[in-house]
Amino acid sequence: MREYPASRGAAGDDMTSQLVLQEVAATELEESPATEKASRKWRRQAGGRRSMGMFLCIVPFMVLVFVFSYFPLYGWIYSLFDYRPALGLSGSEFVGLQWFELLVSSPTQVAQIGQVLLNTLAISFLGIATSVLPLIFAVFLNEVRAPWFRNSVQTLTTLPNFISWVLVYMIAFSLFSSSGLVNNILNDAGLITQPLKFLDTDQNVWLTMTLWGVWKGLGWGAIIYLAAIAGIDQSLYESAKIDGAGRFQLMRYITIPQLMPTYLVLLLLSVANLLNNGMEQYFVFQNAFNKETIQVLDLYVYNIGITGNSLSMATAIGMLKSVISVVLLLTVNWIAKRVRGQSIV
Amino acid sequence: MKLPKKAVAVASALAMVGLLTSCIGGAPEAERAAITEFPDKWDDEITIDVFDELANYMGVQEGWFADVVKKKFNMKLNIIAPNVAGGGDTLYNTRVSAGNLGDLIVVGKGKKLDELVKGGLVSDSSPYYPAMENVEKFDTAVTHLNDGKDGVYAFPTSVSSIKPTEPSEGIDPTFGPYVRWDLYKQLGYPELNTLEDLLPVLKDMQDLEPTAPNGAKVYAISLFKDWDGNMMVTAKQPTTFYGYDERGFVLAKADGSDYQGLLDDDGEYLRTLKFYHEANQLGLVDPESTTQNYDTMWSKVQNGQVLFSWWPWLGQAAYNTDANTAAGKGFELAPLKDMTVFSYGAEAYGAGPVITIGSKAKDPERIAAFIDWLYSPEGTYVNNSQTMGAAGPQGLTWDLDDSGQPALTELGKQAFIGGEAEVPAEWGGGSYIDGGSTLNVSAVLPADVDKETGLPFSYKSWPSYQELVKTPLSEDWKAKMGDAPTTMDYLKDNDQLLVAPGASYTPPADPSEIETLRNQVKAVIVQYSWKMSFAGSEAEFDTLRADLQEEAKGLGYDKVLEFDMETAKAQNEAREEVAEKLG
Repeated sequence: MREYPASRGAAGDDMTSQLVLQEVAATELEESPATEKASRKWRRQAGGRRSMGMFLCIVPFMVLVFVFSYFPLYGWIYSLFDYRPALGLSGSEFVGLQWFELLVSSPTQVAQIGQVLLNTLAISFLGIATSVLPLIFAVFLNEVRAPWFRNSVQTLTTLPNFISWVLVYMIAFSLFSSSGLVNNILNDAGLITQPLKFLDTDQNVWLTMTLWGVWKGLGWGAIIYLAAIAGIDQSLYESAKIDGAGRFQLMRYITIPQLMPTYLVLLLLSVANLLNNGMEQYFVFQNAFNKETIQVLDLYVYNIGITGNSLSMATAIGMLKSVISVVLLLTVNWIAKRVRGQSIV
Repeated sequence: MKLPKKAVAVASALAMVGLLTSCIGGAPEAERAAITEFPDKWDDEITIDVFDELANYMGVQEGWFADVVKKKFNMKLNIIAPNVAGGGDTLYNTRVSAGNLGDLIVVGKGKKLDELVKGGLVSDSSPYYPAMENVEKFDTAVTHLNDGKDGVYAFPTSVSSIKPTEPSEGIDPTFGPYVRWDLYKQLGYPELNTLEDLLPVLKDMQDLEPTAPNGAKVYAISLFKDWDGNMMVTAKQPTTFYGYDERGFVLAKADGSDYQGLLDDDGEYLRTLKFYHEANQLGLVDPESTTQNYDTMWSKVQNGQVLFSWWPWLGQAAYNTDANTAAGKGFELAPLKDMTVFSYGAEAYGAGPVITIGSKAKDPERIAAFIDWLYSPEGTYVNNSQTMGAAGPQGLTWDLDDSGQPALTELGKQAFIGGEAEVPAEWGGGSYIDGGSTLNVSAVLPADVDKETGLPFSYKSWPSYQELVKTPLSEDWKAKMGDAPTTMDYLKDNDQLLVAPGASYTPPADPSEIETLRNQVKAVIVQYSWKMSFAGSEAEFDTLRADLQEEAKGLGYDKVLEFDMETAKAQNEAREEVAEKLG
């Protein structure tokens, strides 16, 4: 039993050394001027064959990137036409930059787009600000001693992540509509006479949207931190305990600093998604009363293109998103250059 | 550098594929010889896709109507309904982009039809037209509709031989202030001089019946949001009591005597918003209005939780059941002294929707035969929607009595008065109501007269039916209204009906810029209309109104209004012309 692995190890060593020898031989050959030409040819062919294989490995991904990231850019052409689906692109009228001119033609229009961008950024930044919550949650959850309790809390908080926004809205509606549970309870308790308007109001929309997002994503967001906590070297805790650290000091000086790298990576990724805060959530929650403060960029494009049936105009607005993304990227890049002395792109 | 070149080649090949697939159009269809007669029998069964913008049902037609179509044409109808699918024009856009909208298409005339003809998505029915003897009776309307098109591309709907200056409605108007008559009676029929007089009356009615039989709180007015278009749809309705109807952002009076911009300070639209606002201040408006849809509101009316309705086909249809009317409870028209209710004149050349055959239709000849049948007396009795008074198949729900007069059979009485009936197996079985035509399009107007019987196709206008539906409620209403036999008679006799001659006017398509501006402005109008109705105070109402006017103007309201104003005036000219020619 003991000899077999040993001999295998030896064989492996032999092979490695053989390879090394070959390499040396090759180098020696190269140095001789007589065979230089032939060897270079051989090398180029071998290298070519090897990189061809490598290339074939990445081809599927290149195709994917092309099909899903570059090919859709072809759709920008729709913003230059007055696109009518029944006539096809070739039958639609070419209007040049009409839609772009329309976008900046009136101050109200510009103000509307400004409001949309404000909503998008505000909700995104609130989202980033609350991204610390899953971390705190994970740290505290980790301190729970009873495994059954910890596991059930974790399961219950992870579950909402798998509920679609439509169903979340159903829950919100049955709880908070004017004849919902909360209003009924308050009414029966005699605290209110008129139902409170939770859903159809423009008050605190950004905040409530963020809270729904937190409710849905808290447990899911915590998973990665729980995994990171499990990976922290236990000897750190042991030595801290020997130094007399209490429970909260362990959290403060060991757990949280150890989680910081993970947190920062996630933070960076969420900054990259600043404009992509989705639309399902806002789509299901929107109504005449909160529309002004809930319309984020993606929803605005949807409302204009699909609901308003102005596909070309929506394309033009959609392009705005790409432009802003590029600006954001360049800004972050510039900051990175200033701070770290090297650029990201 | 070799490999990247290959990558470029692959990439451009992919791009070419993409471009090509988006360019492949339909192959030109073979020339067909004209026919003068349809075959009596169809051998193989087919299922056709019916893209129907009016349908409220999606899926294969079932029940007795399916049975009739199957027996006559050996054909099944697979209804595709954008109304059910939701998402506005998404379904339409997707299907036309794919190059096949459906085999049988019911779509709005004007812009959409023109696009479909231009894009080659609908086919020319000229080869079959000589065989379509039922449609031929309405040849003027067909010719008028296909004027300027190279062939017979579409067939008009809601055609009739009624004069365009006569109402297209049967015994009930389309609009009117309907209230819960039993409560109104208890208050001693208070006099209503104008719209705002309804407020104190509704308040008293709500106090009389604060809770519905199901225990829910009663609100006099319940609104809904899912039909909102150019404006808040429930806010437009009271303007129709004064003879206005919408043409884009214009409210145009039926007789062409007045045109208002939607946001005019002293206009009817803002008056209604104010009306709802005051009603809300009095606690008369259902707080769930802001979130509910038509179906929810409908069931509230059904349960007696609502006391006011803008339409007979809401209040009466939902609440005036056998049991309620026998107890004297139900919705009836409570006339406002100064009202002149808008009425749609019978469309001389057909209504807005048209019927057409898709260019990739499986068996265009059979579909043409089916369309022709829809215009026959049998098709008219069978196909029209039940709310319009379609009598159903002769021999099943109705038949001629000894004196040659049409009368409902027992099954018909069960279905139309009782609300439901079981269809015998030889007619396909199942529920009568569920088995009705889901096309929801009237080829021939139900108010049109059947030459055989001398009475309208709609069973609601038959004397035998009128006799059947006498209830304590209707008798009380008639007695109070000077013995008017029907609501329409009352309105006509009292000069409270303003008929807009049915000119079959097709508004010009919005130029793309107007369309885009309109879509943005209307979103703002709808949004603010709701906010104004539910404003907390009069001051807030006024601020919101000023905000609305400013924001709408900033987005190009004036430009769209100008366009609509011209259209409204052109529409009126067409009305005057048709009234002079055919009235």
